[in-house]
Amino acid sequence: MPDIETIERVREIDVDKYKYGFETVIESDTAPKGLSEDVIKFISAKKEEPEWMLEQRLDAYARWLKMDEPDWAKVSYPKIDFQDIYFYSAPKGQTGPKSLDEVDPELLRTYEKLGIPLKEQELLAGVRKHDEPSTLDEDAGPSYASGKVAVDAVFDSVSVVTTFKKELAKAGVIFCSISEAIREHPELVKKYLFSVVPQGDNYYAALNSAVFTDGSFVFIPEGVRCPMELSTYFRINAENTGQFERTLIIAEKGSYVSYLEGCTAPMRDENQLHAAVVELVAMEDAEIKYSTVQNWYPGDKDGKGGIYNFVTKRADCRGDNSKVSWTQVETGSAVTWKYPSCILRGDNSVGEFYSIAISNGHQQVDSGTKMIHLGKNTSSRIISKGIAAGYSDNTYRGLVTTHKKAKGARNFTQCDSLLIGDKCGAHTVPYIESKTRTATFEHEATTSKISDDMMFYCQSRGLDEEEAVALVVNGFVRDVLQQLPMEFMAETQKLIGISLEGSVG
Amino acid sequence: MTVSLMKTPAETAYADAFDPQGALADVRKSAFAQFAETGLPHRRMEDWKWTDLRQLISKALPPASGTSASAEAIDDLIAASPFGDVARARLVFVDGSYDPGRSSLPATGDVEFASLGSDDLPAWVSDKLVAGSTDPIAALNLAYMSDGAALRFKAGSGMDAPIELLFVTTAEQAATYTTRNVVVLDEGASATLIETHVGGTGEYLHNAVTQLHVGDNARLDRVKVQEEGLEAIHLSNLEVHLAQSACLKDFTLTIGGRATRQQGFITFDGEHSESYVSGAFLLTGKQHNDTRLVIDHAVPNCTSRELFKCVMDQAARGVFQGKAIVRRDAQKTDGNQSSHALLLSVDAEFDAKPELEIYADDVICGHGATSGDLDEDQMFYLRARGITETEAKSMLIGAFAAEAFDDVESGAIREVLGGLAEGWLARRKAG
Repeated sequence: MPDIETIERVREIDVDKYKYGFETVIESDTAPKGLSEDVIKFISAKKEEPEWMLEQRLDAYARWLKMDEPDWAKVSYPKIDFQDIYFYSAPKGQTGPKSLDEVDPELLRTYEKLGIPLKEQELLAGVRKHDEPSTLDEDAGPSYASGKVAVDAVFDSVSVVTTFKKELAKAGVIFCSISEAIREHPELVKKYLFSVVPQGDNYYAALNSAVFTDGSFVFIPEGVRCPMELSTYFRINAENTGQFERTLIIAEKGSYVSYLEGCTAPMRDENQLHAAVVELVAMEDAEIKYSTVQNWYPGDKDGKGGIYNFVTKRADCRGDNSKVSWTQVETGSAVTWKYPSCILRGDNSVGEFYSIAISNGHQQVDSGTKMIHLGKNTSSRIISKGIAAGYSDNTYRGLVTTHKKAKGARNFTQCDSLLIGDKCGAHTVPYIESKTRTATFEHEATTSKISDDMMFYCQSRGLDEEEAVALVVNGFVRDVLQQLPMEFMAETQKLIGISLEGSVG
Repeated sequence: MTVSLMKTPAETAYADAFDPQGALADVRKSAFAQFAETGLPHRRMEDWKWTDLRQLISKALPPASGTSASAEAIDDLIAASPFGDVARARLVFVDGSYDPGRSSLPATGDVEFASLGSDDLPAWVSDKLVAGSTDPIAALNLAYMSDGAALRFKAGSGMDAPIELLFVTTAEQAATYTTRNVVVLDEGASATLIETHVGGTGEYLHNAVTQLHVGDNARLDRVKVQEEGLEAIHLSNLEVHLAQSACLKDFTLTIGGRATRQQGFITFDGEHSESYVSGAFLLTGKQHNDTRLVIDHAVPNCTSRELFKCVMDQAARGVFQGKAIVRRDAQKTDGNQSSHALLLSVDAEFDAKPELEIYADDVICGHGATSGDLDEDQMFYLRARGITETEAKSMLIGAFAAEAFDDVESGAIREVLGGLAEGWLARRKAG
């Protein structure tokens, strides 16, 4: 049954620990090391892409060669040697555990620790046990049961499987890997790819445009409310490999989609590069909700290893009354450089950004958002909660700007930072540009630590120090947690506890 | 000298005229070398992204000092200073040069005065003139400064009567005038200082630096009024060092100038000190004012507050960049900053960058920034009581701006500031 295969493949990818730091031993197909036009041609050929796509890639590569690596972010890391990276790596075979019993027990313990009952975990990953009546199966009936999640699983450079495609197709939704979309839906891809983040947008976006290997493609037709949550699970496995995925989501007039993204990588001593691009297009009356739980390997306690996460995410609210909501939980990566943005082009369009960024150990986070008000009566809301512990640096960097002709623009921004320990840093760098009388912008930021009173209160009720910190932190980030889809909320709450482990005492 | 980096006519003029003499020649040389590293700041430099001096200073404004203006013209400008009745002593500088005839020295022996233009400066002044500021405009100032006031308030002295430093620029020549003040408060001293800048109509640039060294337990109240001519470029740097348990209260009112960049660098050197910095801009036409503040909490247990009220009419542009740094061990820091902008026209613009850079955990820091139009409900309330629209607007704008100088200690000075704001509003109504 093809379904079972699907499940197995997904489960295989979901096998992790570092909680997620193991490596899957798997034979891989790789491109020659380094970056050149030949490597780009190799990738394009592997993907069986049409000529026009290759041209776009080569154009992006030519632009990238002329660009300088950005150095304005408050992060420091050794210079990346782009000739020392494999830009393409794909598993040759896909055999994995047949049932939950075969899953690494360490992993099961991790998930227990994360507080996800395995049943729920299956739901999350779109898998089920063999001997169990499925609540997920397509045969289960026409009901769009809540908790159903379709998954596109990206393993190193390729999408290995996309679940629930048939059921989604019934609703007219296209959900597949971007490589497949380039082959099967070239007209849509041609029209929208690079239309939000052009090839030459910035250094890493240009790099991604040249070498992107896979990612997800979502198209929601007019008037359709996507029947289930869509999700992509990114996994870096192979050594010395960069991951460059590209995601494109198009919500036609009056449609709605909620999309989740999760990511993990093995523990390695060397750093690995992840440079993704996400483009969202929301047409008239459409709404896109994009949630990320970023849990790439953050490096060890001495700051060795970890993922460099240099990501460009941008949404174009092209139609009137459209809405895009970004929610992110950033707990992983050694270095994060990421600013999910909204171009509020349509009149009355709405952009939202909810973020929790937690840094511990030697992690460096420079993240935030851009809200660009172009249409009339556009509004945006930014809630950012940064938590710095250990030796980490956590920066919020954001831009709110309005065009002169954008009447009635409205923004509310709140950035709060919490410091745990005296060796970490929390920084706020907002840019606010109000270019006309009718724009009303409000910005508020605070930085503080967990007060001794709160700790005393919790501890006098029998919580140990770490539990007390986790409780207070969960309260601190509550405003953002509530924006996450149900399935992610429980997981995230536990994840926060794990990320801050060892931060006190 | 790295003259090769000088690209614009203005930069070339600065390089060509550079010929330092006298006791400070070496200091000036290293300061100029520092300036030459970057040249005039431009928008590709992060701190100057909203104020591009290469663009604003489009032609050569060679350094100058000394005046050729008529006595009448000078006296007219001096009469324009609003503090004539408030100041008990006044030091007047005309076109970058001390004018003893028009100045009145403080009567008490508690304060020592020297003109920075004099040849042999006392050690307490020359010690403070050291190159090393990271700001190119402050470096350019040290390289070229022609005069200014050096004031030293003796330990334990209490000078309640305000001293005014009045800078008059006649705009007779399209030139750069460079002045610098060095103010030292010894232990336990207290003083009130007014710094006024007035100028004629015509193009000129005034590069002004004020260094404040506030000693242990000392307290300084400073009020600055910038009413330069409307063609003028005003660049200023305020460098403050606060020793232990010191207190600074500083307020700046900005009305004049075509383009203004005012920077404040406040460093806490001793614990338990406090700094209150506030300001108001009243801008119209195509005026541009960029205020940048850097508050450096280098030591624990200090408090800082900033409050800025910015009013922009017509095509004016206001910028506020405030940065609070809390160093690694500066625990128990209490820092708060807010900027509020009122945009009265569709073409007005306000840009803000309130920044926090925090490396200590036991702190309370925050900032707030808002911008928008007058509140409709407030307008309705006043209109419903029979007040005309223009009058209602004036009341609300006046009240909005006044909040920034509510905390100025001296009632007489507060009154003068209120009068200046009213004058601006009256001109707005008439215009």
